[in-house]
Amino acid sequence: MDTSSHMARAQWMSLLAQAEAAELAAAMDAFAPPADATWLRPAQTGLYMLRGRIGGTGPQFNVGEVTVTRCSVQIGERIGHAWVRGGNARHAELAACADALLQDADQHPKLHEQVLEPLRHSQQARREAASRKAAASKVEFFTVVRGE
Amino acid sequence: MLAAFADPVFDSQRNFRELLQAMARPAVPRELPNLPPAPVPIIPAAMAILMTLCDATTAVWLQQPNDETTCHLRFHAGTRLVDDPRDADFALITDPESMPPLDTFAQGEMRYPDRSASLIVQVPDLRAHAGAYFAGPGIRQTAQLAIDGLPQRFWQQRAAIATRLPLGIDLFFVAAQRMVALPRTTRLLES
Repeated sequence: MDTSSHMARAQWMSLLAQAEAAELAAAMDAFAPPADATWLRPAQTGLYMLRGRIGGTGPQFNVGEVTVTRCSVQIGERIGHAWVRGGNARHAELAACADALLQDADQHPKLHEQVLEPLRHSQQARREAASRKAAASKVEFFTVVRGE
Repeated sequence: MLAAFADPVFDSQRNFRELLQAMARPAVPRELPNLPPAPVPIIPAAMAILMTLCDATTAVWLQQPNDETTCHLRFHAGTRLVDDPRDADFALITDPESMPPLDTFAQGEMRYPDRSASLIVQVPDLRAHAGAYFAGPGIRQTAQLAIDGLPQRFWQQRAAIATRLPLGIDLFFVAAQRMVALPRTTRLLES
């Protein structure tokens, strides 16, 4: 696997993980886990320690713990993994299934069109709505010249 | 790749209880309650012990490693796999006939006798009330146990190590679903 397809996989895994659980469930309705799916790691919820740097520089510190649900599934030869923020097991299972199916060149175009594209659009819409909301509350400070 | 325990927490806890009991009552075979699937050449009972006792902080040495078994252990248990048997906390012996001498493995230090290796040995069969007699802590008088498939030199090597107590090596033998423990304090009696 070359780097470009690694990148592509990282992007779709990120998209699946950040999708709304209900939207993902609706999009994946047509791609129910096939009978030969093996749940290598059934969905399990745990805590991850988030680390960060103030302003992106300086030493790392522990920001706090975040709930993460992970899941791994094998469909045919391909193994799909998912790590999803929160405790929604169904979300992690669907994301893992989608990851496994997306690695299959035959299924990829169909999933890309019916799952990834709608999720990408709604993610973009959510981002735009959030930034519009933020922009509307922007306050301009004008410096009043004092004295003289 | 294969799955591991269906219920990782409770299955490994149930197995852990049996392993404790087996160590407390040496030379008495017990059944492991939960067996996960295992790739060849590892049998499910041996995999159950590895999945129960090993994680990212333990070094595991496999006698016959292959891609599937190393992937399986790394994925499910996150174990560190080592190439040198001297570095192992746990060693899995899948072919006792060709196993390295027992004194290859770590036997601990005088200050820290716990820094020794535990061996999991896959054998063809284990039978209670047959074969050799064993004695030691946890055994009322003697216990009789037959372990098949071990070379004669194995018992000579074990007797040689026994003089170094409290240093030594703890052993688990597995066959099918059954498991028996021989901690370093258990002696094989001369018949």
